[in-house]
Amino acid sequence: MSIKIKKITRNKMSFKQRIYLFYISLGMLRTLKHFFKNLLNTKNIDFLEYPEQKPTDITSRYRGLHRLTKNEDGELKCVACDMCATACPAKCIFIMASEVESKKEKAPIKFSIDMLECVYCGLCVEACPKDAIRMDSGIYTKTGFDRQSFVRDIVELSNTKGGF
Amino acid sequence: MTLLIILRIVFILSFVLVLIPVLVLLERKISAFIQDRPGPNRTNIAGIRLGGLVQALADALKLAIKEDFTPSSIRSKFLFALAPMILFLLSTLTIAVVPFSDYFTLDGVKYLMQGIPFDGGILWYLGLASLSVYGIILAGWSSNNKYSLLGSLRASSTVISYEIPLGLCVVSMILTYNSISLNDFVLAQQGSFFGLPAWGFLIQPLAFIIFLVCAFAETNRAPFDVAEGESEIVAGYHLEYSAMSFAMFFMAEYIAMTAMAALIVTIFFGGYSLPYLSSSDLMQNYELTLVCLAIFVSVFGLIFIRWLVKNNVTRYKTKADHRKRENKFYIAMALLVVLAIDLVCLYFYAYSLESFGKEMMALVINASVFSVKTFVMLFVFIWVRWTMPRFRYDQIQRLGWEMLMPLAILNIIITALVVIYVN
Repeated sequence: MSIKIKKITRNKMSFKQRIYLFYISLGMLRTLKHFFKNLLNTKNIDFLEYPEQKPTDITSRYRGLHRLTKNEDGELKCVACDMCATACPAKCIFIMASEVESKKEKAPIKFSIDMLECVYCGLCVEACPKDAIRMDSGIYTKTGFDRQSFVRDIVELSNTKGGF
Repeated sequence: MTLLIILRIVFILSFVLVLIPVLVLLERKISAFIQDRPGPNRTNIAGIRLGGLVQALADALKLAIKEDFTPSSIRSKFLFALAPMILFLLSTLTIAVVPFSDYFTLDGVKYLMQGIPFDGGILWYLGLASLSVYGIILAGWSSNNKYSLLGSLRASSTVISYEIPLGLCVVSMILTYNSISLNDFVLAQQGSFFGLPAWGFLIQPLAFIIFLVCAFAETNRAPFDVAEGESEIVAGYHLEYSAMSFAMFFMAEYIAMTAMAALIVTIFFGGYSLPYLSSSDLMQNYELTLVCLAIFVSVFGLIFIRWLVKNNVTRYKTKADHRKRENKFYIAMALLVVLAIDLVCLYFYAYSLESFGKEMMALVINASVFSVKTFVMLFVFIWVRWTMPRFRYDQIQRLGWEMLMPLAILNIIITALVVIYVN
């Protein structure tokens, strides 16, 4: 049995196309128009002067930095079940649990996320049974001068407000 | 006399070396404007950003203090280190024969205003420009990397397809100008041709187009920069290079581009001369020249200030508006430069010029005209890069061998017939 062969005939270029120069000059005119439009009036360029101007069109589904949520009494919802740390593909969540005397029996005493390892996949948010960790802070940049400043600890995580 | 020797070497060297950061800035700004974005606009020294030039200086500093890493897998450490040097040196040497001003007459002796006072300028240029591809080939081969080797193979394929039409174009221009000295090329273009300035691209339009196409290939610029290829061969011949040795390839490309732009200007756009005006005209009517110069500089300065006030503004609400302070600095500097040039012109207008002064005036004007023309040509180089996609290397070979070479030979025949039977 022979293989089915489909022959594709290429469209022959017209002389105007084969000589290149005509269409090249048309394209160059187009780019030149853009260049002079922007050179003569740089205010027309649509851009954001980023650190001073913040984007306003972030959707509520955007994954910003993590935060730990609190219940009505003001204590962390987290029960240190380690589900998020287990689900994390980058292994960037570190939890140390301890017993507490309140409604819940267990709570984290240490909860830190290494933002240099984090891939912002959101699996920790999906895994959490208590809705204790969310990525809705609306913060889209994290800057720092050393590695240690990128490890966000429990204090920082629980003090972050929800952005959306 | 020693002053003249130092002057021309310093001018031509500083012309190419100072132009590198300016060209990096131009490349980024022009590409940004073509793609509707603002380009580098953050880096500053005390709030002064020089339109993004500080960014180029920061890049240079970064490359200079980076670790120059040599992989252990390379074939020959000597050749690996030598390759960027060859490319850089040969690119720098090519521009040395381009005249940037007319003869400087001192005590009845005429001095050629080139980095190297050599009459067979175009031969020197062609020889060294075609040698510089050895740098690319050596770099690709000694890297011991398949992608680098592919890049250098593609570079050599470009060279064999473009050297010949380029040389043939030059032959037809030599027939037209009846000389191989680049200065004679410029002198021949100072007349007029059917009412238009007798510039090479009007006399020999076919040779101009072929030469321009080959020039892009010769300098490894888009759309013929097949030696590089981010999407196909990772980076190309400079893949294994880091820090300053990479920067040398980078600088060599810009120097080659400057040299090629200067050569195109010299062959096809009247070189250092203004249209219809020879430098003896400038020197005879030096008073009128000085007045025109002063008026031109003042008008240009005012246009620049108006553009600055309109465009250099902050687009968000802020208490400390650094751009207002920056604008004050720019306006002060622009006014200072305009005032200085006007005062110098006025001084020379009041106290009439001796022959040495006239020669100096012609030198300054010629060198400025040459720089402006070269800048326009460099703009075209960058403009083409941000318009056209890269050709495949077999397409380049077909273009070079099947289209450009027959056309160039045809052009030589026509030129020769015209030279013999018409003149």
